This record gives sequence, structure tokens and C-alpha cells, in this order.
Amino acid sequence: MSRPSSLRGAAVTFLAAASMCAPAGVPTDSIYQLHAQLTTQKAALTGLDLYRGHPTLISMFYGSCRVACPMLISAMQAYESSLDDASRARLRVLLVSFDSARDTPPQLDRLAKLHRADPARWTFTSASETDARRVAALLGISYRRLPDGDFDHSLLITLLDSDGRIAASTTTLVGDGAFQASLRAATQPRTHEDSEH
Amino acid sequence: MRRAGLFGCALLLCVSVANSEDNPFMRVPGAVFRSALPLGKQYDVQVRSFLLQRHPVTNGEFLAFVTSHPEWRRGAVPVVMAGIDYLGAWTAPLEPGPNAAADRPVTQVSWFAAEAYCEAQHARLPDWYEWELAAAASASQRDARSDAAWRQQVLDWYARPAGGALPPVEQGTADLYGLYDLHGLVWEWVHDFNSLLPADADPEKFCGSGALDIQQKDNYAVLMRIALLGSLHGSDTGRIVGFRCARDGGASR
Repeated sequence: MSRPSSLRGAAVTFLAAASMCAPAGVPTDSIYQLHAQLTTQKAALTGLDLYRGHPTLISMFYGSCRVACPMLISAMQAYESSLDDASRARLRVLLVSFDSARDTPPQLDRLAKLHRADPARWTFTSASETDARRVAALLGISYRRLPDGDFDHSLLITLLDSDGRIAASTTTLVGDGAFQASLRAATQPRTHEDSEH
Repeated sequence: MRRAGLFGCALLLCVSVANSEDNPFMRVPGAVFRSALPLGKQYDVQVRSFLLQRHPVTNGEFLAFVTSHPEWRRGAVPVVMAGIDYLGAWTAPLEPGPNAAADRPVTQVSWFAAEAYCEAQHARLPDWYEWELAAAASASQRDARSDAAWRQQVLDWYARPAGGALPPVEQGTADLYGLYDLHGLVWEWVHDFNSLLPADADPEKFCGSGALDIQQKDNYAVLMRIALLGSLHGSDTGRIVGFRCARDGGASR
């Protein structure tokens, strides 16, 4: 693991160390209140609020998981593929690995390509144990590391509104009608956008 | 406004709260330990030596923290990190008042607040296995779990009706590490509370199954802890849920 050598990297680290200070203007019930540091598949440092301004699907996983996690990612793709093109273009997808030791940026990048995830709208990230625990706690996800390097974890897909408030969530990987409806509603054009056209 | 907020946030880093003298960190030597919660198929878990605070964090100690960390005062904390009952027994955000005397354990604190408190002490919350190892000790034995008299004493607390004000910390006897109140006063947050998958969980919601096999069904007190902690959300602010902090404690300590 290389250290963040740039000043910006140091600044991000510094802010992250300032416990859980939130960016300005974030609603009190938004998960963007948590200042977590995520490392993307492009080795960039970012925060949970990477996609603030867009409805976002978020979930947690680990890359070396053989069955359940590929299913989870496929399920997220299936949910978004049911949207029309314009709605899907508004949606973003953020995946957070709790296995930062193995899910390095090159590994995350391989995974993104394997799943043919649209790089313009999907980001694969990993977080330190401390930050991953906090993200999991916000989302209501349980996970634990087992001695063989695998993880026990809950499979949960959460839909965030554009300010990071939890709008809906599902543990059903295929065809949760209510979740699908929430996703459709969240990705509709806003009224002021309509009047502009 | 935005600049001021960031600046204030950065300043807090420099104001380190040093109120842990009254609640020193005691050493718990590492051990291979038969946990009630096996790690997959592995029943004996390795716990490294660590340090654990002598008693649960008190209202007085927590007051010092929120005094120097305004973002963790009641009313200032985002609801996503602490429910509306956060520090609900306190008279005011900087005044614990008669229902939360300085020497009583602080409760109605969320996991996020407990994490932040420990971070400010350059410490962390203990992991479940650390807590379980420490809580297995009596005044004379590292592992008193098969001692019927000790076990009954622990169970008596769980049988006592809840309600009324909590007693002060350190009223009982210390265990052989010098720790107080691991049983008998409050429930305590652990860092990995959201790893203790509830035993009645829907197996389809989980990737893997090892964590669902709980051992030592006669170790009722510990199983109750696991069930309670596994059922909590990070923003929950239970009336009898407190915490204490831990630190890594290498061989040099």
C-alpha cells in the first residue's frame, strides 16, 4: 500500500481524522453526515457523498466472495436495467468493500470491468475497518471476517435520495416490486427540470 | 458559514480531552479463548493483549467530551448518528442534572457517539471477543464461566427489574484485571456490534452461515448480550446501554 503523498491526500486524511464532521448543508437524516474515506478503483480518495445530487444505489460487499456478492452486483444491475434510459442516466451506484486489504484499486477495477459496470455511473470502493463498520452501521448491514478470509454479511441494497437519505432498501435480489417502484419514483425528472424543457 | 464550520472542525483536533485519569486503562493479557460465538467453524478465538477502561464511561466523563466537542452535544448530532433520545436523561446539553449524576455510567448514547468519544481519548471501542474475554473473569479466575456461584451472581443482575436511577460505578468488587462493572450495571457497546448476526436471522439474507451457530447455551448472560447487541442499530440510544473504551496493549505495556 502506498501512502497518500500529495497534500490533498494528507488533507483528506486529516479531515477524516477529525472524527465524523459532515459537509455543510447535509440533512440531519442523511447518511452523508458520516465522513468516511473511500478509495475508488482509480485509487482516488472520495467520500460517501461522491454522488450527492443523484439518486444512488449503495451496498457493501467483498470482491473475493464467490457467490453472493456477484449475485448482489447482478441484482443491482437488474434493478437499474428495468429503468428507461433517461431515468437510468440519473441513477448512480456506489459499492463499498469491507475488505480493503484484498480489494485494492486494481482488484476493484478488475471487478468493475468483469461486471461491465458503466464507469460513468458506477464506482467500486473500499474502506478501512473503522470506516466500513460505520458505513455498515448507517445502512444496517452486518458483517464479520472469518478465519479463512471470507466474510459473513447481510445482503442489502439501499436506495438513497439525492441528499443521501435512505428512501428504500431491499434484501430481495430479484423482483422486489415495492423497491422497484421506489427506484422508478426516485429517478423521475424533477418538476423544475421538466419546465426547463 | 461553511468555512467557519470547517475551521471549527479542524480546531477540535487540537483540543484533546484528557479526562481518562479517573478511568484508567487496565491490561487484559491475550488468550486463546472459547467464545460463545464461534468464528465460522473455529470455536477457540485468539485475543491479543489489550487495555480496557476500569469502569463504564460516566456522565461526568462524557460531559467533558461534549464540552470540547460541540458537534456531539444533544441537539447538534445528526439523527442518523444518534436517535432523538440521545442523552435524554440529561437536564440540558451541557448539564447532566440530577438524573444523570457525574459518577453514574452515561447511557442513551449511540454507537456512533461512543466511537467518537473513544477516538477522542486516542482509544477505540473494544471488539466483542475482547469484551467477552474480560467479562469471563471473576476476582480470582481468568475464566470463571464454569463457576456456578459466580455465574449465579451475574445472572442475579439480569433478573433484577430495570428502572430507577443507575448506581454509581465501581461499587462492587474488581475482577482480577482490576476491572469493574462488566456485569451488573449497564450493557456496553462493542465496536463490531453489527457483526453479531442474530441467531434467528433469515439465512437467505446472509453470505455464509458460520456466525449463526451459537455455543454455550447455558451461558445465558453472555447470550443475552449477543442477542441485545445484535439487535441494535448504530443510532440507538438505549436507557441501559453505555460503553467503555479500549486500546491495543502490546507486550511493552
